[in-house]
Amino acid sequence: MDTYKLKNNIYKTLAYIFLITLFLITFVPIYMLLINATRSTEQINTGFSILPGTNLLENWRIIQGFGINIPLGFRNSAIIAVSSTVLSVYFSLLTAYALVVYDFKFKRLFYGFVIAMTLVPLQLYLIGFFQYMHAIGLLNTMWPLIIPAIASPAGVFFFKQYLDAALVPELIQAARIDGASEFTIFNKIALPLARPGAFTQAIFGFVAAWNSFMPPLFIIQGNQDLHTLPLIMQRLQAGQFRNDFGAIYLGMAITLVPIIIVYAVLSKYIVNGISLGSVKE
Amino acid sequence: MNGKKKNYKKANLAKDYFGYIFIMPFIIVFVLFALWPIANTFFLSLTDATLFTMQDPNIIGFDNFISLINDDMFRIAFTNTWLLWLGNFVPQMILALVLAAMFASTTFKIKGVGFFKAMYYLPNLLMPVTIAALFQHYLTVHGPINTFLVGTTGILSEPRNFLEIVTDTRITVMFLQTWMWFGQTAIVLVAGMTSISPSFYESAMIDGASQRKMFFSITLPLLKPILLFVLITSLVGGMQMFDIPLLLSDGPLGPPDNAVLTLNMFMNARRTHPANAIGNAAAISVILFFVSSFISIILFRMFREDDGKKRRRKEKTA
Repeated sequence: MDTYKLKNNIYKTLAYIFLITLFLITFVPIYMLLINATRSTEQINTGFSILPGTNLLENWRIIQGFGINIPLGFRNSAIIAVSSTVLSVYFSLLTAYALVVYDFKFKRLFYGFVIAMTLVPLQLYLIGFFQYMHAIGLLNTMWPLIIPAIASPAGVFFFKQYLDAALVPELIQAARIDGASEFTIFNKIALPLARPGAFTQAIFGFVAAWNSFMPPLFIIQGNQDLHTLPLIMQRLQAGQFRNDFGAIYLGMAITLVPIIIVYAVLSKYIVNGISLGSVKE
Repeated sequence: MNGKKKNYKKANLAKDYFGYIFIMPFIIVFVLFALWPIANTFFLSLTDATLFTMQDPNIIGFDNFISLINDDMFRIAFTNTWLLWLGNFVPQMILALVLAAMFASTTFKIKGVGFFKAMYYLPNLLMPVTIAALFQHYLTVHGPINTFLVGTTGILSEPRNFLEIVTDTRITVMFLQTWMWFGQTAIVLVAGMTSISPSFYESAMIDGASQRKMFFSITLPLLKPILLFVLITSLVGGMQMFDIPLLLSDGPLGPPDNAVLTLNMFMNARRTHPANAIGNAAAISVILFFVSSFISIILFRMFREDDGKKRRRKEKTA
């Protein structure tokens, strides 16, 4: 019994050492970035510090001297990420609602097609999309990065599963008897009912859009006024400023901080949402 | 389930045309912004289109594909993509399995599981472009990693210029992909493990099975559908690897010596100046699509066939 206990304790200690090592490997690179964003280049060159420095404002001033408009990039990223997320959640829900509530010809064919399309990789579409946008003059505008969000097969798939479980038919019947129009029923009854699922989808959609690099690289590379943060990051990296470490670290931190703040508040919710799409039953 | 469906039917018979109205926005946008571009990619792959031949590019059949297959750069990109994917998938899967087994274990009772899960998942949410740029800074000759290895610990006698060495650059890309994905995979696996009925383990315990035995003969086999899901999504994603190798290696063709040139990076290089060879780039996309679909289907079949064989064997013994 005692040897068993001892053995178990050794295993347990080893497990914690393993877990804490992994924690350090994930945490330290991010922490070091945030700390370095507040330190001067000379301080950074002397090595790692655990406490933040006082050079944050100075670093910000240096960045502004680069001629790269980070606030504008932040704004562009926010516009694209927010509007594409809202469109994708609303229209995916609307499409899924149609599949759950109504019966119409080709419904199953349509849904099968939606599922198949979730497996098509992005780049198959991207190059044809790029040439097509170039041909119709929409290259270097934001629209090609926002409008396609209306048709998101993965979103429809998610909400179909979700509404199948969450929607009660009696509720819709009752609303019809009260004389509500079909569209009102969707907006006033189905939409609030699906709020928890919509919220999960919105978070993941927002993060994906915020971090997205290849589509904006193809579509808005040529117009610096529309550059999103990932494109700005690329310019910072390629630029001649890469030896201004403090400022560069601050630039990097700006791209991560909004996501880190959202995650700090909602981490439990987000972690629970990860396995939603993958594990059923 | 069946009753529910019928209810809907009865209630809606007269209003079913609303179904068409509600899916209309999706269909219109999908046709214009997804189906048409996809068809366009297939079409372009058969032409000699460049960005400047806007009118009617010449249809040249499979010339793009033939020239790609004979292109050394394409072959390098193809092998690199597989190498970099494998080099991140294997360690990522091992890490995730170990972690998931720890987190889901009822005998181990690790404290702070929620905290560890949340921390391990964090890198997955961060902008890959920034992560790659960040590690490029960390790995320079004067960067903190060299300071640590040479100055602080003395593991190396002189600074190493990691990103100018082929193997090191590849290992860094593999490391970063693993770093970004192991937490996500672990969480998905934990969810799968906790959905396995405890009664399996209870009866195995009564039979005196060891923890290890139970892991290999109960947990892993029952986890198969989820393992397949993780494998296929990771593969499809890995074939599209782009952001991290591009930003880490500081050049469109994945230097040094195309060490981390992936298929998507090559596609992007063909698309942009000076080649602007859209047709050629489209052919790369088409090849990528067929390769990843083909492998996914094979994997799917393999897993299912394996299951079928086992079932048959069981039937025979029974």
